[in-house]
Amino acid sequence: MATDTDTARGEGFGEVSRVRGIVFEYLSLGASVLGIFALAVLLIYVTIDAFDLANADPLWLLTYFLTLVVPFLGFCLYSARDPALTRRAVAVAGGGLVAVAAVFTAIEAFVGEVPRLNWQLTYLFVAVIPLTGYLTYMGARGRPGSVGFGLIGRLIGGTAIGLAFTVLFLVFDERLWFLAYTLGIVPALLAYAYGQLRDTPAAVTAALPVSILGVLLAVFAREALRTYPTTAFIYLWTLAIPIAAAGAVVVNGRGSRTAALTAGGVPLALAAAVGLFGRAAGLGVGGPNALVVIAVTGVPVAVYLHRVFDAGDGLTGLGLPVLLAAGALAGALVVETFGIPTPSPWVSETFLTEAPSRTASEAGLYPAIVGSVIIIAMVAVLSFVLGVATSVFLEEYTADSGVVGGLTRLLQINIANLAAIPSVVYGLLGLGLFANFLGLGFGTAVTVSLTLSLLILPITIISAQEAIRSVPDDLRRGSDAMGATRWQTTKNVVLPEAFPGILTGTILALGRAIGETAPLIMVGAATTVFSPPSSLFSKFSAMPMQIYAWANFPQAEFRYGVVAAGVITLLIILIGMNGTAILLRNRAEEGH
Amino acid sequence: MSNTETKTESSDSLITTDVETGSNDRTAPSNRTAVAARDLNVYYGDEQAIDDVSMEIPEKRVTALIGPSGCGKSTFLRCINRMNDMIDVCRVEGDVEFGGKNVYDGDVDPVALRRKIGMVFQKPNPFPKSIRDNVAYGLKIQGFDGDVDERVEESLKGAALWDEVKDQLDSSGLELSGGQQQRLCIARAIAPDPEVVLMDEPTSALDPVAASKIEDLIDDLAEQYTVIIVTHNMQQAARISDRTAVFLTGGRLVEYDDTTKIFEDPEEQRVEDYITGKFG
Repeated sequence: MATDTDTARGEGFGEVSRVRGIVFEYLSLGASVLGIFALAVLLIYVTIDAFDLANADPLWLLTYFLTLVVPFLGFCLYSARDPALTRRAVAVAGGGLVAVAAVFTAIEAFVGEVPRLNWQLTYLFVAVIPLTGYLTYMGARGRPGSVGFGLIGRLIGGTAIGLAFTVLFLVFDERLWFLAYTLGIVPALLAYAYGQLRDTPAAVTAALPVSILGVLLAVFAREALRTYPTTAFIYLWTLAIPIAAAGAVVVNGRGSRTAALTAGGVPLALAAAVGLFGRAAGLGVGGPNALVVIAVTGVPVAVYLHRVFDAGDGLTGLGLPVLLAAGALAGALVVETFGIPTPSPWVSETFLTEAPSRTASEAGLYPAIVGSVIIIAMVAVLSFVLGVATSVFLEEYTADSGVVGGLTRLLQINIANLAAIPSVVYGLLGLGLFANFLGLGFGTAVTVSLTLSLLILPITIISAQEAIRSVPDDLRRGSDAMGATRWQTTKNVVLPEAFPGILTGTILALGRAIGETAPLIMVGAATTVFSPPSSLFSKFSAMPMQIYAWANFPQAEFRYGVVAAGVITLLIILIGMNGTAILLRNRAEEGH
Repeated sequence: MSNTETKTESSDSLITTDVETGSNDRTAPSNRTAVAARDLNVYYGDEQAIDDVSMEIPEKRVTALIGPSGCGKSTFLRCINRMNDMIDVCRVEGDVEFGGKNVYDGDVDPVALRRKIGMVFQKPNPFPKSIRDNVAYGLKIQGFDGDVDERVEESLKGAALWDEVKDQLDSSGLELSGGQQQRLCIARAIAPDPEVVLMDEPTSALDPVAASKIEDLIDDLAEQYTVIIVTHNMQQAARISDRTAVFLTGGRLVEYDDTTKIFEDPEEQRVEDYITGKFG
């Protein structure tokens, strides 16, 4: 009976065809999967070339798998504390091994040889790396994992930022910075602090003019003064001490004075000791750069350690860096003892610290890395400031109607069109405007930075406008009704709320800028330079230019090994940069 | 458009941007006029939103503006602190007097004017900042140099929210419930010690319990401030207001009198129909 009524109902309503929807669904899924798959295969091959994995001995892979990957996965599973997850992970690792080996052997037997891949490497890329990624994510949600990754992030991030500082000082005059800091920033900060503590608004207001005056004074004094402290002392005074003081203030804000002194003082003392006396004491490291790196890494680590110990939770996570270092050492030891042949990766110390060379094994990317870092720093500052200013003006200050409204719309349309102009045209603009007309020089850092800033400015503006537009009008009206001026509303309500969105747009735009080659060629940037730029007006190269140059070399080692190493370095720097910016953005979002 | 008689009287009071403290004598309700409209016409483009309205709103009383949707009562409210300036197509003719001065005079700075008039909106709109920073917002932008924490506490007490939030002043204002958010907005509006508090349907987005708390609060606020409230809810107007103005379609002020008179014995038949729910 029941079936009868069901059929009757079914006949009564008829059926609606969903074929087109289903076809559309699978076609679009297929298209996106195909794109991602192609990119993944390319990246796998680039990685294999860059690290010379094709020549890696299976035993070498196995050793590091056991000493480095397995303990790391164990740590993630320990942190996640989820028996079901552990079972799944073991099943994927074991089942993946069998499946990959079987499929791979079948392909080799029936289809043909797969170039530069074996089943071990396939297993690494198809199963181990995705599994590691997933377990890292799951592990980070547990307390020990989040502590461990937080510590590792500060170690790596601090080192990277410290290195970026030292790179920037290659082109920026540290003595001018020393004078500007001493004469401008320190007095201004003192005035500000005094005004805040003693309730003297006049002192607070005076801070800005004092700093400008001090910087101007510094520019003149730079020529007049003959003797300066050593670079190490300058870094100590202008970078290490303020960073340590900031760290101490943060810890002090959490309530402990002794801990504050320790968190600021210990890294500072370490940085000073290694930086000033490391070489003399025969440590092998030392000098001003070591001082900066230790200070920039040590202070955040100390502040973080204080926070973790204060919370008293997930302390085992602090062992993660030790676990990884021990794993790497143990792996190296095993490889050494048993004489397992090691691959010779193209991404090596030589590659990262040496100048380009005619011989593939001696080729280095160092000058180009320095060039790229300097350009990116300048482009980030320029395009962020200009982009935010323009978008605030367009969104908050111009009227919607009347003559002004019409002009605004015209401006809007033009900005949207500028985003679509090919980068070669921007290169031509940079050549004509900055290099020729303003005389900033052909292929100098200033010319290239200004050109790339112009190139990404429309993207920055449009995304910042979107972010500003998405701030609810309720908030603006609320602030206006309190008697806030347009500027106060923008500064206190709109910009803080729009900041994460603005940052997202800038990150995407910077990603485009770091990879651009065409405008660099147009403004005359060198494909290859042999020493890092010594000022903003010296000839320099950037990573994509150097990679492009290497791709045209006749030797196969260049076209495969060195180019792949360059691409990997470029990608790692790009991902690191984006990662930092994304962390910053998430922090800003949490702040609300 | 401008009223020359009152222009010279106290033009300073609107241009100063400092917060006045304790200058008002807030004892028993007086019958002095806080806000007065004279021959007020407002147009959105070609459409007339307010049609020749004149009314005097007494100091330290609750005055309710009621009427069907689109009758111009919110527009009238926004004329008082010149929030209509934000709407490009809006055009205002006639006078709105506040503090003995026409707020549409050329020398009145609307920003300075709004610092003397607090406003609470239909939808609670706390800033995505801490509770403390929300309340201190007006003090901050006006450069208040007294004890901010004390003023924050006073305002939160004034908005009947202190006991609920005193332990979480640093948490975000968005974490509060809808009714608490609206009281936070009231605390924010009264923190700089304005003379008038404008409320644009402050309870229409809230549940009945939260709404009744706000109603109690409005009663208390009238001891210190002139409260002008737009509401759709006639029972609410009857409960909380001393005076009621009824606007009907076309932006005309049809009747304006003591609340008891309006609700018990209105002069106009249309008003009676509206109040008894025959239309609207």
